[in-house]
Amino acid sequence: MPDAAASEAGAARAPSAVLHTLLARPEFPALVFLLLLAAVFSVTTRGFFAAGNLLGIVEQGVIIAIVGLAVNQVILTAEIDVSVGSVLAVCAFVFGNVAMEYGGMVLPLAASLAAGLLIGAVNGALSTYGKVPSIITTLGALFVYRGLILLLAGAQVLNVPKESRVLGLSDLAGVPVSVLLLAVLIVAFYWVSRNTAWGWNIYAVGGNESGAVTLGLPIHSTRLIAFTLSGASCGLAAAVFLGQIGQLQATAATSFELRVITAVVLGGTSIRGGRGSVFSPVVGALLVGVILNAMTLNRVPGTMELFVLGVLILLSVSTEGLRQRYLEKKL
Amino acid sequence: MNPAASDERRPVCALRSVTKRFGSILACQDIDLEIFAGEVVAVVGENGAGKSTVSKCLYGLYPPTSGHVEVDGARASFRDPSEGEKAGIVMIPQELDLFPELPVVENIWMGLERPRRRLRAFDRPEMEKRARSILSRLGLSVDVKAPAKLLSAANGKLVEIARALNANARVIIMDEPTASLTEREVANLLSVVRALRDDGVAIVYITHRLEEIFRVSDRTVVLRDGRQVSDRPTEEETESALVRKMVGRPIEQLFVRHPHEIGEAVLEVEGLSSGTAFQDVTFSLRKGEILGVSGLIGAGRSELAETLFGLRPRTGGSIRLNGRKTEISSVQEAFGNGIGMVPEERRTLGLILPFSIRNNITFSSLASFMTGWFIDTAAEDAFAEKASSQVLIVGAGLDDPVSALSGGNQQKAVVAKALARGPSILILDEPTRGVDIGAKSEIYRIIDGLAKRGHAVLMISSELNEILAMCDRTLVLREGRLAAVFDRKDFSPDLIGSAAAGVKEEAHA
Repeated sequence: MPDAAASEAGAARAPSAVLHTLLARPEFPALVFLLLLAAVFSVTTRGFFAAGNLLGIVEQGVIIAIVGLAVNQVILTAEIDVSVGSVLAVCAFVFGNVAMEYGGMVLPLAASLAAGLLIGAVNGALSTYGKVPSIITTLGALFVYRGLILLLAGAQVLNVPKESRVLGLSDLAGVPVSVLLLAVLIVAFYWVSRNTAWGWNIYAVGGNESGAVTLGLPIHSTRLIAFTLSGASCGLAAAVFLGQIGQLQATAATSFELRVITAVVLGGTSIRGGRGSVFSPVVGALLVGVILNAMTLNRVPGTMELFVLGVLILLSVSTEGLRQRYLEKKL
Repeated sequence: MNPAASDERRPVCALRSVTKRFGSILACQDIDLEIFAGEVVAVVGENGAGKSTVSKCLYGLYPPTSGHVEVDGARASFRDPSEGEKAGIVMIPQELDLFPELPVVENIWMGLERPRRRLRAFDRPEMEKRARSILSRLGLSVDVKAPAKLLSAANGKLVEIARALNANARVIIMDEPTASLTEREVANLLSVVRALRDDGVAIVYITHRLEEIFRVSDRTVVLRDGRQVSDRPTEEETESALVRKMVGRPIEQLFVRHPHEIGEAVLEVEGLSSGTAFQDVTFSLRKGEILGVSGLIGAGRSELAETLFGLRPRTGGSIRLNGRKTEISSVQEAFGNGIGMVPEERRTLGLILPFSIRNNITFSSLASFMTGWFIDTAAEDAFAEKASSQVLIVGAGLDDPVSALSGGNQQKAVVAKALARGPSILILDEPTRGVDIGAKSEIYRIIDGLAKRGHAVLMISSELNEILAMCDRTLVLREGRLAAVFDRKDFSPDLIGSAAAGVKEEAHA
């Protein structure tokens, strides 16, 4: 209908359009909530609004955010990767051993990245060309790699030399290197997502797979790349992780995968795929970080943590339905 | 596009004796189809005639089992649709195949080489400019940054056409492009199609709607049972001739029909409506009668069945069972009132594929052999044996999963399930869709037997032959309304086909 066309075009230029465009962005509600909470805590919680504390929050969220950036892409293609906790541990194990043997930063990091990349590629190949649902592939991987760590590293004491802990310990002009690394990654993911065919195919494959088939889009390779990135991001995050804590236990990063998925979903990416933003996992990770930090500052017992996270997820999912209804009414 | 350069009579693309086989099923056979620049070729045929298989071979989704695709006189073998697209053959499927969350501009560029600027970044302003210019050529002005999910069905179609043009399509295949459009939107779309043709684009126009063929196409190809039965200029065709070619297969010994006694009305429907799906439908169904429901896809037939079976809310009118006004607002109530149904989509609605045949037959009737909280398995077994013996399921035991059965036998299992409750009224929605000849005949035997035993049968079918051979009377729905009712003595393919398609009756003109 020409009339409908005209009103569709007109609506975008109406005064309320800016608000509407913002509201339509997937990460917007989480961002508003994040800023609101930060404002409230700044007033109510002593010690919250201090440069050191805020940087600390970011620093703690870095590992989740780094892996989240990649897992976000997997979820956008309507797949899932629940293996990242174990993959992170395996990569840290590789990183730590190479660091103890050879020292330095380059060699351990290269080894850790390679391990993550390989594991991610295998997960991806099984989930696409192998036609196994990714929830099964990556659940299997979660157990296999955790089991491997328990077998290989159960008794080992890993102490990483200081020179190999640059990503976890060093500052540049007062800003932790890990935070700078995250900033670079965010820019890179944003650029790739907007300026490569792969970046757009991610949304197409996840949003309407049969449509992607009709256009002959490379469905399998699009997903394979996302899974591979997810593994590689664990390799990178492992360097930050070991850099921060300096030693490795076989149970390290247990249930890390659930925190990553929490960050992605809280940040506004749809678990069904096709809808979301590059920024979702970062906003989500910061949101979780701010809440946990304020709980600590207010001496809320740590045993409350899981409960609060759970409530947060349920709240965000239910408000999403309301928002969609509002958006549909508007145009 | 390079018009004058090439030989005028050389087709842009062609299918050369293309045959496509899926396992033992021949989807299409020996198709020879030439598509020339600047023409609209209509492809028509009943469901299962092979229209979509033919188009999928043409744009590269299916590799032909034998024969080949030809582009500009040279043999081409596409490995996937993106290769067909590179050759200039673009498909626009029936369902809106946009990416709902992505902006219009990204939809128009999806899968195509996007323009770039410095640092190899995509040149977004240029992408938007090109998108806007193509859309304005199609007479559409929407905000290209708005997500595609906000588009109406008609504008979505235009955006899909815009993407095809952006891919430099020389041949655009449109599968039922007007299926969900209003009459005004259809007129607009058809004028777009004509404008594209005048620009030298070839259009392959797949449709059920005969009227549109005459409004837009230059040539009409009729498919039937996977074979090409005619390929002629549209102006030499008439609607009744097309209908005859589409359905005119010889009626072999396929159908089973014995005389049966028709009793009093068991189901009386008056002014029944359900939202926009269908309105004001009035008819009655009598004991021992087989009543057909004919019409095109989207005419509201399945929705009517769903409403009678309690799956879809009634928004107007009334339903009487055995003379008593009855409310059927759930499947349980339908069962309770002796109504059974065999749904159209047996895989999704009719069966739980991994379950055994026994469980599939009994699971909708479990209440009838519960003793307290538990299932009386002996009673369940007896029940399943009896139900399945009525319909002769071949090829597997009762404990094998339904997924092991052929399409025909799966369908028989669905029928067995529906019969298991001993319904007095049975609704069949496309009971023989996608089943082989043997199973078809078997299903007709069952239907005939039901009528003879005094059940009332409401049979929805897109196969005109089925209606003609099996039914005592038939309703014809068109665009959600009851267009006509024919008694068996007045049955003719032309009359029913015309009523379904909304053709002015030539006989009276």
